[in-house]
Order: sequence, then C-alpha cells, then structure tokens
Amino acid sequence: MTKNNNSYKKVRCAMENNRIGEEIINAERRKYEKNREELERSRARNRTKNVIIAILIATTIFGAYQYNTAMKLRQQLNNAYNKAFYELVDYIKNVEVTLLKAQMTSSPEMTAVVLSDVWRESFCAASNLTQLPISMGVLSNTEKFLTQVADLSKSMVKQVTYGRNINDEQMKTLEDLHKLSVNLEKGLLEMQQDLNNGNLKWENVAKEGQEEMKEVSEDMPKTFGNINEQFEEMPTLIYDGPYSEHMQNRKALGLTGDKVTENQAMENLKKFLGAGKVKSITKLSNNNNGIIDTYNFKMELANKDKDSVAEADVSVKGGHVVWYLYNREVGEKTIDVKKAMELGRKFLEEHNYPNMKESYYMQNDGVATINYAYVGDGITYYPDLIKVKVALDNGEIVGFEANGYLMNHTQRNYGTPKLTEAEAREKVIRGENIKSSGLVVIPTNYGKEILCYEFTGKVDDKDFLVYINANTGAEEDVLIIINSEEGILTM
Amino acid sequence: MVSNINTKKLLIMILTVLAISLSAFFSQVSFGAGQISDVQLLARAINGEARGEPYEGQVAVGAVILNRVKSPNFPNTIAGVIYQPGAFTAVSDGQINVPIDPKSTVVKAAQDALNGWDPTYGCIYYWNPATATSKWIWSRKVVVKIGKHNFAK
Repeated sequence: MTKNNNSYKKVRCAMENNRIGEEIINAERRKYEKNREELERSRARNRTKNVIIAILIATTIFGAYQYNTAMKLRQQLNNAYNKAFYELVDYIKNVEVTLLKAQMTSSPEMTAVVLSDVWRESFCAASNLTQLPISMGVLSNTEKFLTQVADLSKSMVKQVTYGRNINDEQMKTLEDLHKLSVNLEKGLLEMQQDLNNGNLKWENVAKEGQEEMKEVSEDMPKTFGNINEQFEEMPTLIYDGPYSEHMQNRKALGLTGDKVTENQAMENLKKFLGAGKVKSITKLSNNNNGIIDTYNFKMELANKDKDSVAEADVSVKGGHVVWYLYNREVGEKTIDVKKAMELGRKFLEEHNYPNMKESYYMQNDGVATINYAYVGDGITYYPDLIKVKVALDNGEIVGFEANGYLMNHTQRNYGTPKLTEAEAREKVIRGENIKSSGLVVIPTNYGKEILCYEFTGKVDDKDFLVYINANTGAEEDVLIIINSEEGILTM
Repeated sequence: MVSNINTKKLLIMILTVLAISLSAFFSQVSFGAGQISDVQLLARAINGEARGEPYEGQVAVGAVILNRVKSPNFPNTIAGVIYQPGAFTAVSDGQINVPIDPKSTVVKAAQDALNGWDPTYGCIYYWNPATATSKWIWSRKVVVKIGKHNFAK
C-alpha cells in the first residue's frame, strides 16, 4: 500500500512536474508567439512607413515639377499681358500725338497722312486692349473710344482723298477726342508705374468687376475701372463708318402693315409654309429687340422624319415672316443649283416677294443658300436682300431670312442719273472684257445707299466687279468674285 | 491588421490622386491647335457654349459672336472676340477644344449665323439665368429668351 502509495505520490508529483513544465513551455511559447507577432507587426509598420515615405517623396517631386511648370506658364501669361499693356501705352501715346498733329496740318495730303496714322495707332491700341485679362464691361467704354477713333479717322481719310476737306465741326470733334486721349494716357501711365513697382498684379485685375469692391483704400493702385469712367460722357460720334453711333439705332424701313396678334402671326406662318405642312405650333417667346419686334415660334412639321422641328420669327408689325430655319438631314442630291434658284424665286413670288433676282449662293451639306435682291424700274437694289435655303435632295425650302429686305426696302426716287452708262464705262481702266450689268443700288457699311453702274471685268483670270457712282463718277467699290465648288461669293 | 487596412486605403487614395493628377496633366498637354477657319472656330465656340441647346439657340450664340465683331465695344475679328480674356467660359475652361460630334448641328449653326441668320437681332450678350454669377450682366434688358439663355443688347 505504502509502496503503492509512494508510487502514486511519485506519479502525481511527476504529473505535477509535467503540468508545471507544460505551463512553463506554454508560457514560453505564448511569450515567443507574442514577440513574433510584435516583431511582424513592427516589420509591417516599417514597410508601411517606407511605402508612405516613398509615395510622399514621389508626390513631392511630382508636385514640385507641376508647380514649376505652372509657375512657368503663369510667368509666360504675365509676360504676354505685360507686352500687351506696354504696347497699349505706346500706341495711346501715338494716338494722342497724332490727334494733335491732325489739327495742325494745312494741306489735304498731309491731313490724310496724319489721319491714317491716327487710324493705325488707335486700331492697334484697341487690339492690345482686348488682350488684357479684364472682366466683361470694365473697359467697354475705352474699347469703344479707340474703335470709334480708328473708324472715324479712316472715314476722314476717305473724305479728304475724295476731295472734301475737314470742316470746322469735324475739327472740334478731333479736339474733343484729343482731350480724352490725354486723360487716357495719364491714367495708363499711372498704372504703368503701379505695374513697375509691383502694386498691380494681373491676377487681381482679372477679379475686378466680377465682385463688387468691398473696400477701396487710399493706396490701392489705380484700376481700369477708373479709366473707363472718363469715357462715360464721350461725345456721340456720327460719321460714315460701321462703328458710328447711328448704326446702332437703325429703323426697319421695309416693315409695313398693322400690328398683328399672336394668333394671326401663327396663321401667317402656317400659310407661309404651305397647307398641311405644320403639325403643331407653339410660341416660345416674344422678341423685344426694338427694331423688328417678333413672336418666336417652334413648329413640328408633318414630315416622315421624326426629328422635324423648325423655328421661325414673325414680326409683330405687319405679321411678316422674318426668318425660318428647318435643320434636317439632307439626302442624295437630285437637283442642281440652277433648279434650286428657280424654286427659290418661285417661292418668293408666291409669298408676295415678286421681282427678286438671284445673285450669289453657297452650298453646304446638300443645301444651297441663295441671295435674292429686289429689282424695280430696272435698278437692282442690293440692300433689299432675302436669303432662301433650298435642300438639294427634294427642293424643299428649309430656310428663309428677310432681315435685309425688311430693314431697307422702301420707295426710292433717284431720278435720272447724271452720268450715262458709256460715261461711267470710261472710268473703268483696269481689266479686260468690261461689261456693264446696268444700274444698281449698293449698301455701304455705314447705312447709306449709293446709285451706281455695275461693271464686270477680268484681271489674270480673276473676275471682279466695279461700282461707279452714277452721279459723281467716283469709284465706290471693287469686289472680287470667288467662284468655287461651294458657290459664288464676292469679297 | 487594422493598421494594414488603413494603409491599403491610404495607398489607394494616394494612387488615385496621383492617377487623376497625372491624367489631368497629360490631357492638358495632348491637345493640339491646328489651323481652323472661321466656320470651324465659330462652330467650336458654339459647341463649347451651347451644344445642348435647340438649333435656334446655337445659331443665336454664333450670331452674338458675329454681332460683337460689328460692335465698337468689342474686338473687330472673330478670333479676337472668342479669345478675349474672360469673355466666354467655354474658352476659359477649355470646352472650346472639345472635339465636335459628327452628328452635332453646331457646324450648320455656325454656317447659318455666318450667312446672316440672327434670331437675336443684334444682341451682344447672353447668359444662363440658372448659372450666371456676374451681377453686372443682370443690369441688361433681356431682348429674348432662347432655350436656356437670355439674350441682351
């Protein structure tokens, strides 16, 4: 028993020892595993750190490179702005000096020479001005001043070379414009100073006008807005040029008839396009432009084409269709331009525009756009212009535009011209095969009309048109006829 | 493990940022400006400014550009008007360089505007009332509303 008891104890002791040993081993193992885990974790942390550092370095290098490129581009842009500005200042100086000189010349020849300098310098100044990064509207008066000075001096050059001297009123205008140019020069020189000592930055200038200036401090550099204010009371300039004030407020001479209602206008439009052509019609808006007020309509046309939407304007006064546009895919060409011209003329005759003669045309995407001018008493009136678009796949009228006709058509009484056709013919000395096409009235870019004899001729295979004033014999215009695959145009 | 997931997220984020900035960088470089005629230039401007507009609205935007050429307050050439700094958002943000969809009507619209169609009757401004930020533009009297745009003289 004792032996048994002893051996039992021994076994228990051994088991106990074993258990302790196992526990120690387990503890060691846990310790070891914990260490290993920690080691791995720290290794992973190190790897992550390295990756992040590498990425950071890469992005920093990339960022620095990008920043460098951006700075270079910005510098280039600033240089371009600076160049435009410094050139502008130089041109304005010259505008000021030449406007002064123009008041001092004695001979018409010298006046013409000096005025053409004014024209060139102010044109270049205007071109540089619009390259500066200045918000919409901030400099529009200044731009207008420069454009009108250029345009006015050009028309004066023409006047002087055609034998009429500058009159007292025109001299007074030159004086007024010179005063304005002195102020402009002063303002720009102050800005130049700010630019030189770094007070003026183009990125700040660009913000002007976009937001209202919150605080205007005393030491803030002079800005373009201040300069522009000087021109708010600029004299109204009326002269023979496209940018003259009178060109902005023209009246529609050809707009006859009484006011029509929206429904009447709708009926007119349906009739204009032909019975059964319009599937549905909706008014989109009223156009209150003050020259030709209109109703604006959208139509769905009764074509097989699913995308057959057309738009048109009908005038409130008289209910005339002012323009019509039907943009559709055009199929294979089945008719030629000659046939298209006939179809267009027939369309005009059927819509109360008889006596219209085709002149020039363009062909694009299977559509011919043909110009028609009014002919009355044997005179062709080029200002009374209607354009018709004819689709060359089936001859359908897909566009109409009568703005020229409605603006200009009126009863004119020119009487008998002072020159005969033969006398006018003698004035044309260049070119071969000179042929007359009779009396015409031509428009000018300043709204005046001139009665002329029209002649065609040829120089080196190039056809041209010459217009001789039927009363004074002056050569009023020369046009080159461009004959290409796309059509016949004049330039 | 938690830190590993975060690292992965961080990595993906950084790589995405890198990829975006890289692609932006290369797309900036790769466009080329060839010689484009008046029609093409006008069509591109219309494409950038009004490609989602009705046909009439596209012609109208082209007409405004041409009316500016004729106005004393603006540059005297089509390119001068289109590239006047700050004049058109589509030029400032590069939308003007977006290639024209062959099915798009903007080239026809440009052609019609050049041929004299002007649904705005001489307007020189337009803006989208929903997005316009300039207070100044609202001082103009609206002549006509075409599509999303207000037009004014």
